[in-house]
Amino acid sequence: MGAILSYFKNILAGFWNLVLGLSVTTKYLFKKTNTQQYPEERMPLPARSRSMIKLIYDGEKDQFNCVACMMCAKACPNSCIKLEGVRGPDGKRRMTTFKLDFSTCIFCGYCVEACGFDALTFVSEEYENSVYKRGSLLQDEQAMKWVRPPHLAPKPEEPAAAAAGAQA
Amino acid sequence: MISGEKIVQLVSGLLQQVYALLGLSAYAGILDRVVCAVVMFGFVAVFVMFLVWMERKVSAHMQSRIGPNRVGPLGLLQTLADAIKLTTKEDVHPVKRDKIPYFIAPILAFVATFMGMVVVPFDNKMVVADLNIGILYIIAITSFTVIAILSAGWSSNNKYSLLGGFRSAAQIVSYEVPLVLSLVPVIMITGKLNFSGIVQYQQQAGYWFVFPQFVAFVTFIASATAEANRAPFDIPEAESELTGGFHTEYSGVKFAMFFLGEYVAVVVSSAVAATVFLGGWLPPFPFLGFIPGFLWFMLKVLLVIYLIMAFRWTFPRLRVDQLMDFGWKVLIPITVLNILVTGFVVLLAGKGA
Repeated sequence: MGAILSYFKNILAGFWNLVLGLSVTTKYLFKKTNTQQYPEERMPLPARSRSMIKLIYDGEKDQFNCVACMMCAKACPNSCIKLEGVRGPDGKRRMTTFKLDFSTCIFCGYCVEACGFDALTFVSEEYENSVYKRGSLLQDEQAMKWVRPPHLAPKPEEPAAAAAGAQA
Repeated sequence: MISGEKIVQLVSGLLQQVYALLGLSAYAGILDRVVCAVVMFGFVAVFVMFLVWMERKVSAHMQSRIGPNRVGPLGLLQTLADAIKLTTKEDVHPVKRDKIPYFIAPILAFVATFMGMVVVPFDNKMVVADLNIGILYIIAITSFTVIAILSAGWSSNNKYSLLGGFRSAAQIVSYEVPLVLSLVPVIMITGKLNFSGIVQYQQQAGYWFVFPQFVAFVTFIASATAEANRAPFDIPEAESELTGGFHTEYSGVKFAMFFLGEYVAVVVSSAVAATVFLGGWLPPFPFLGFIPGFLWFMLKVLLVIYLIMAFRWTFPRLRVDQLMDFGWKVLIPITVLNILVTGFVVLLAGKGA
């Protein structure tokens, strides 16, 4: 008798579990989908994600921030940065040509770190960097020109912190 | 009010006039059948396309995906594109195949299930042939798929195909028993083998058989899923074990025939379940009678098909021994017990045939 009872009990339990499974999948049927339809829908990237290296262009002064100090070229482990500069009439150095070969760049960010004039930066919005020809990966200063939008402007240093730095 | 009966009268009246115009009135009996077959084939082909789309959508949303949405509105034309691709494909076949069975198997696989559509009543009097032994006919004719699958497996000259064919034969033969046994209680209560008669009985009784015969409904759906070789009972074509099972060596139109046959088998079993257990063309409440009967019927068929699709995307595949255990140790004892209890009740109530 016990065996027969457990037989029917098993079948009922199995049936109930199947119904539970069906309820789960049916619940998911009416849930919102997670798919992101890529070319039409884009995932918002964090503002400081590292997608592409750009040269900052100062719109007000109508010039690049770069002064051709060569720190980025020296920091680059693959030597993929080539740049030249001249001393202007006001006695200050300005960059004339800047070339970054993205086919050998490993996006380590040392150049951005080494830059002391806020001239090189990572941008987040340009992440579709595939090209059809290898030569297109060699970008010059015009291709890398980027005007920093106001919301990404560096925060002015806190007066208290600056004072503390001066004391130390 | 639109009803299936009026549509049938209208169309047959039109056909009579066309025959008279062409001077073919003498052959009206044969021509009617031909028109029925063509209409039914068109209906089945379009409906199966819709079902493939529905299956892809259901599976996608169950997995938090979107599914086809590029070709046509909501991706509805995706299946049409796939069908065009499939029919224009090269027909690749093994050199050492057994030619005649290899050629006949896909045709038989489709025709055997398609013939089942003949006795399905879409509405009152809206049925190709209202056989008085409809249930017997549908059970007999749909079992032919096992021959198709077995010959496909054998003639492909491929061990995976052969294994798939053998598994399928074992499966269909064992699940045929609970399939028939789960229909027996309804036949005992109504005393009829005719689908329209069973629906009319439900109309007079005022209830659908799914309520008193819920156990039979569940066992019927389970064994119908197994009959149609669909997951979780899809061991004849278990992809991870047998690549494609019996249709590994088929391509192009022949593969499309197998594919079509599988879906038509689902449609036929769902139609039988909708007719026998869910009241066919009857509306669930009398005040909803203004909606034509064939729409109610299609709605119920789609409901059962959704259930079978949900099985596929919810349950893991059974192992071969588990499959046999489930068929012989669970489904058959339960259906037999159900028959005994139903017979007892029918005897006590003093009705039945």
